[in-house]
Amino acid sequence: MKKLVPVSLVLIVVLLGVSSYLALAVAPTERTMGDVQRIFYYHVPSGWVAGFCFFLNFLASVVYLWKRSGASDAMAAASAEVGVVFCSVLLITGPLWARPVWGIWWTWDARLTTTLVLWLIYVSYLVLRRFSVGGQTQVLAAAFAVFGFADVPIVYMSIRWFRTQHPSPVIGGGEGSGMAPGIAHVFFTNLALFTVMGILYLVLRYKLQMVEQALESAHAQAALKGVA
Amino acid sequence: MNFTAFLNGMHLTPFSGAAYAVAWVIYLGYLAHILLRMKKVTAEREELERSVAAAPKRAVLTTETQRH
Repeated sequence: MKKLVPVSLVLIVVLLGVSSYLALAVAPTERTMGDVQRIFYYHVPSGWVAGFCFFLNFLASVVYLWKRSGASDAMAAASAEVGVVFCSVLLITGPLWARPVWGIWWTWDARLTTTLVLWLIYVSYLVLRRFSVGGQTQVLAAAFAVFGFADVPIVYMSIRWFRTQHPSPVIGGGEGSGMAPGIAHVFFTNLALFTVMGILYLVLRYKLQMVEQALESAHAQAALKGVA
Repeated sequence: MNFTAFLNGMHLTPFSGAAYAVAWVIYLGYLAHILLRMKKVTAEREELERSVAAAPKRAVLTTETQRH
């Protein structure tokens, strides 16, 4: 367990390095957009990991409301924070890709707007956890998370339900959609690498949350003994 | 292969370079944030354990006879 932190640290740096190398040096240049399309290999996997984390947060929150276990609350807190980090990368790399390709940084289309709302929902969740006082914080946060998750399927379906500036789906997008084999190979490899990276962040953040919970209860015990 | 040659092999544009740089800063910054918090919380817990161990054991219920 003591080796978890240094091993995760090294693994995350290696995964970041390998995924960048694959995207910037190995992937073929896309015909229409050129080299700027390489943002795709970080942009989409970041979005996928964010969605995965928010789904975990939803599951953990449901389990917490049902069982009231400290472990599920810790998982909910950890997954929301990691999800916000990956969603932030998604929201920053998107405009950096949009500017040279669309000529604009941002537009209020369905995909972009629902993604920004998603980010705001989970930032609000973290703010609620951080600043709420009283014994009901975990219950409030869990209930908030269950309703907040409703935006995730809306984000996913937005490019199927509405006409958007954001491109239509390249995976499962029906006839005429898809990726060239060279692009698909690097994309799916990066998707796997990012998934492993997301899991490593989740493990580290979960461990931190558990240590914080233990510290909180140790403070309470010490206060009872009249030490702290 | 030196570092410059390695970088020359990368197909970077100003926008993709900025996107990758920002992503690296956020991911590594967040990693550093987790590790620093973990270090701080662990140190705080150890400090608390030390002060609990060093604190004199107090009797909760005492009588006048016991006190003298």
